[in-house]
Amino acid sequence: MKGSIKDLLQIPGVQGYIIAQGRNMQIKLPAKHKFSGAKDRLMLLYQDLMGDDNRPGNTVEILLEDELLTIFLSGSTMLMVVSNLRANQALLRMTGKLIIANMVKE
Amino acid sequence: MKQDISGDLVNTRCPEIMKILSLGKRTGRLYLTNGADTGNIYFSEGEVIHAQCGSLSGIKAVLEIAVWSSGDYHFFVDEPADMQTIIMGIEEVLAETTNHLRQMDKITSLIPSSSAIYSLEPDIREKDIQLKSIQWRIVTTVDGKKSIADIAQSLNIGVSDVMKVLYTLIRMGLLRDATQQDTHPEHLSVDLPETDFMNSLKQALTQAIGPIAPYVIVETADDLKADLLADSTDQKAFLIETLSSKIPNERMSLKFLDAMTDWLKAEV
Repeated sequence: MKGSIKDLLQIPGVQGYIIAQGRNMQIKLPAKHKFSGAKDRLMLLYQDLMGDDNRPGNTVEILLEDELLTIFLSGSTMLMVVSNLRANQALLRMTGKLIIANMVKE
Repeated sequence: MKQDISGDLVNTRCPEIMKILSLGKRTGRLYLTNGADTGNIYFSEGEVIHAQCGSLSGIKAVLEIAVWSSGDYHFFVDEPADMQTIIMGIEEVLAETTNHLRQMDKITSLIPSSSAIYSLEPDIREKDIQLKSIQWRIVTTVDGKKSIADIAQSLNIGVSDVMKVLYTLIRMGLLRDATQQDTHPEHLSVDLPETDFMNSLKQALTQAIGPIAPYVIVETADDLKADLLADSTDQKAFLIETLSSKIPNERMSLKFLDAMTDWLKAEV
């Protein structure tokens, strides 16, 4: 499967991503981005999403004022993609699904 | 040849004519037509003594003629039968005819006419089927081309007898209306636009879900109100994503996404 982080970052409008697994979190965002220093808050969001057993799917979208958080969940792994509203969201979701599937497989 | 009663079978059916002739204690020949078919019922002092219709004779011929609901009739006085094939009284003949008509009413609710054409049901669910010899004879002639009248003629059996047997065979799930076969989905054709994107989409989806892929593409595009010829990357991506969600096997769904993502990347 070809889905990779590189493919994700090539989609116009994608600003960066966050990967969380257990207690580990990796944030790849521009230094000035408002989430780049918000590790604790992002960890809380990750724990909230992981703790919700009744979640109907494995893709969550959170619309903020001027950007969109697209979150892919599989097992204990979370991939969160931060993009602006002009990004091709369908392509982003397709690529995200492939990446999370690859990550879980590895 | 003296003719004294005549009319059409649309207004007066055969059993009613027989009743009138029996009440009048008439003797002669009742000649009836129904399209190309003809029949004769002979009366002697109000009793039915002989009947003939095609290759049928006796009470079977009376029953065959009794169901005709179009055509003409003529009664020729003093034309006696040269043989006797019916020995039952007129009351019994009329009772049998009424009973037969009741059965035929039920049958015609399922089989509209003798011109109906049936074919063998390809997907027979019942595994253990036992057929009587007459049912077997008829089922072997059903080919999706011959009408009921053709089958009756080829087997030398009355049309109504063939209809009775077909009614049972249809209820058993062995036959179906041949004209309805063309509306079966596997005979429908779907024309997808001949574009590189559409060919790739069809190919990738066919690998995932098999030959129903073109139908699923058309149905999904209809649901999304998407134009299959549109050049919009957003629309293509949305179509691919929706199609991937319809693939029940997750591994195949990801494989499909993987194949189609390349297409979109090239365009973005």
